[in-house]
Amino acid sequence: MEKSFLNDNLEDYADEEYMIEASNVTKRFGDLEVFKDISVNVKKGEVLVIIGPSGSGKSTFLRCLNHLEEINGGKIIIEGETLDGKNKKLVRKITTKMGMVFQNFNLFPHMTAIQNIMEAPLVVRKESKEEVLERANMLMKKVGLEDKADFYPSKLSGGQKQRVAIARALAMNPDIMLFDEPTSALDPELVGEVLSVMKDLAKEGMTMIVVTHEMGFAKEVADRVIFMDGGKIVEEGKPSDVFSHPKEIRTKAFLDKVLS
Amino acid sequence: MDTSVIIRTLPILLKGCVMTIELTVITLIIGTFLGIFLALLKISKNKVLSLISSFYTWIFRGTPMLLQLFFFYYGLPLIGLKLTPFQAAIIGLGLNCGAYMAEIIRGGIQSIDKGQFEAAKALGFNYSETMRKIILPQTFKVIIPPVGNEFITMLKDTSLVSTIAMVELMRSAQQMYATTFKPIEIFLTAGVLYLLLTTIFTAAFSIFEKKLSVYD
Repeated sequence: MEKSFLNDNLEDYADEEYMIEASNVTKRFGDLEVFKDISVNVKKGEVLVIIGPSGSGKSTFLRCLNHLEEINGGKIIIEGETLDGKNKKLVRKITTKMGMVFQNFNLFPHMTAIQNIMEAPLVVRKESKEEVLERANMLMKKVGLEDKADFYPSKLSGGQKQRVAIARALAMNPDIMLFDEPTSALDPELVGEVLSVMKDLAKEGMTMIVVTHEMGFAKEVADRVIFMDGGKIVEEGKPSDVFSHPKEIRTKAFLDKVLS
Repeated sequence: MDTSVIIRTLPILLKGCVMTIELTVITLIIGTFLGIFLALLKISKNKVLSLISSFYTWIFRGTPMLLQLFFFYYGLPLIGLKLTPFQAAIIGLGLNCGAYMAEIIRGGIQSIDKGQFEAAKALGFNYSETMRKIILPQTFKVIIPPVGNEFITMLKDTSLVSTIAMVELMRSAQQMYATTFKPIEIFLTAGVLYLLLTTIFTAAFSIFEKKLSVYD
């Protein structure tokens, strides 16, 4: 009896193991405080969607997780290792476990789609070319662009660029994917193809944090939704709860605006 | 016009041409590497390094190249550094070219979208990998027109080293003039040779530019 109780406890602990633990994180740009004391934990395989009005600090928070922005207070732990800005090697080791997808794609314009995907595994990980090429081809197929391998980014549509960008991030075999408004720069008719790739990833159990304005995606795919406003987490919960029965007035006001 | 003078002096002028090309190419190689190095110092977050680079360009862009050449050729022997005309010419031209290239390259690097640095960082590239693989290849494309300009200026400026006993095209022309007293024939020929060289350079650059613009 006692033993099984102990085992249950251990299992519980395993369940609660976090991929990302951000506690009391504060970020300032000069005198401007973007957010203060934000704490977010993300479990393995969880899809967390962060919504909120522009300037709420949601993108900046995401960028802090990947150390594109240095935090001014608090602590960020990724898979048990603390992000310490002074230890550049450690930061690189930790952040390469996370793939990042940007609003403006940020593909390397002087490389073809397949070269974009292969560059980091070749240069950063020094993997063998055959291995990387095979993986890159597989990833191109996964994002539905196997026929565009030798196209330069300038010859691709926005949706295609973003899918290459997702494949490029996946080529480093990340444990976590961060999406910073991945569809905001796209023409409306191209949003769907990118979201569908993201949905597939979520289904495969990828741990994801997505900053987005796509409420449909949040409702359908998110395990948890966070609503940020004015540098604070105003509300968080299951998408069904947040979208159907928002507890906070500010959440309700925001949802009324974007869903109408 | 006495064409026989042209025919007689042409081999010597062509020999001068070879030296002019040699000087230009070596200068540009030194200038480019020095320029990349100085540009990276200039944009570094380290204030001291950035200041050193600024100081360098301040000196070399702010004083006449002729003065710099005289300084290296006549000045350095006094502190025990005896230079041949060729060495003094290469050092003077190279250091000067580096200062101009540094400014061109710095502008090029700073014109690259910040997102490129972020994407590289997010993928785990370190500083040197980011520069070598991502930023500089894009920079080179942006800066081709101003670099072409600088190269042509440099090619013509090599004529200044004729003042420190360096025998290149300009000096050869002067010597031929001194022996023949036919200024029109000699300097016209030398001028045509310079034009020919700058034209070849310009053409080479526009081919290079087209080649690099495949990803537009």
